[in-house]
Amino acid sequence: MDKEIPSEDLMARIAEGDDSAFGILVHRHRTSVLNLIYRFIGDRTQAKDLAQEVFLKVWQSAQNYEPKAKFTTWIYRITANLCFNELKSARRKKWYSFNRSDEDGEHTFEETLADSTPSAETILLEKERSRQISDALQSLPENQRMALILKRYDDLSYHEIAQIIGCSVSAVESLLFRAKRALQEKLKNFEK
Amino acid sequence: MRNPMKCSKIQKKFSAYQDKELKPQEQEEVRSHLLNCEACREEFAELERVWQTLEGLEEIHPDPWFYRQIVRKIREPREQGLLPTLQHVFRLSRAPVAVSIILIIGILAGTYVGSILARFDLFPFQSNPVSDSSGVLASMRVFDPAPPGTLAEGYYRMVSY
Repeated sequence: MDKEIPSEDLMARIAEGDDSAFGILVHRHRTSVLNLIYRFIGDRTQAKDLAQEVFLKVWQSAQNYEPKAKFTTWIYRITANLCFNELKSARRKKWYSFNRSDEDGEHTFEETLADSTPSAETILLEKERSRQISDALQSLPENQRMALILKRYDDLSYHEIAQIIGCSVSAVESLLFRAKRALQEKLKNFEK
Repeated sequence: MRNPMKCSKIQKKFSAYQDKELKPQEQEEVRSHLLNCEACREEFAELERVWQTLEGLEEIHPDPWFYRQIVRKIREPREQGLLPTLQHVFRLSRAPVAVSIILIIGILAGTYVGSILARFDLFPFQSNPVSDSSGVLASMRVFDPAPPGTLAEGYYRMVSY
């Protein structure tokens, strides 16, 4: 039912103090925002914290929001900026690479229960594959990685990706070309 | 038929072709090339395989309390925001603050002790300024015709009576 209300209209309602509109908006976009961060950062716990930060910023910006671009483009731009800033501060602290512990791949109890239908071996294999893919993605430079994730998992156009990252369409084309080349090299021995 | 020059040019367009971002004419050019060039077909198939591989990256799901946690952060901006900010500022400026405090304590203590010593004339290395100046003046008198403490001075005293 809430699909009928465009996110831009929900933002206008949030600006008027409508809490329920914010609830609908969070519910609608939380999974995509969370996964964009998770795929970019590669850390489950950090991704959950940052996703909350994104929606906090959405709430704080509601008064000044102007629907110049698509809502998803706008919220992804907030998400991308937070991700880039997070990596910058993590680099300063120099703990990011050390903190990528086994916890990153851990499921919560509820998720383990929900996923418990396949055999333990299958789960382990899938987790291992996922880890390899994640490692390959993490090895890409930040802009290439963000462009690739937005294309591969959100199927955004080059124009939208350019708006999110803040570069030209031809730069996006070049970023994706190089990202795919690098991934081809890194995943050439990967067996499905 | 394989044409290395043409293949290289076409392969540079593979990424945009895969994403359907080429102009219709270019899209058609790559498509027809792929139909006729086996090497490029294999190269493109490899790109597609890697693209498919990325599907294996797991998707995570938000916690059931995700929304509630955001609302709590919105409602408690002061409690959540101010204290950590102060803690952060303190953490960052711990060393400069400690050095400043030690310096201030040192200056205050030095001033206090100095004033006490000055009040009771207890400076260990201080010489009396008055005696100093008289000593200088006395030493200047060595250039007198009869410097003090010399035989000449005694003679002058005797004749002046």
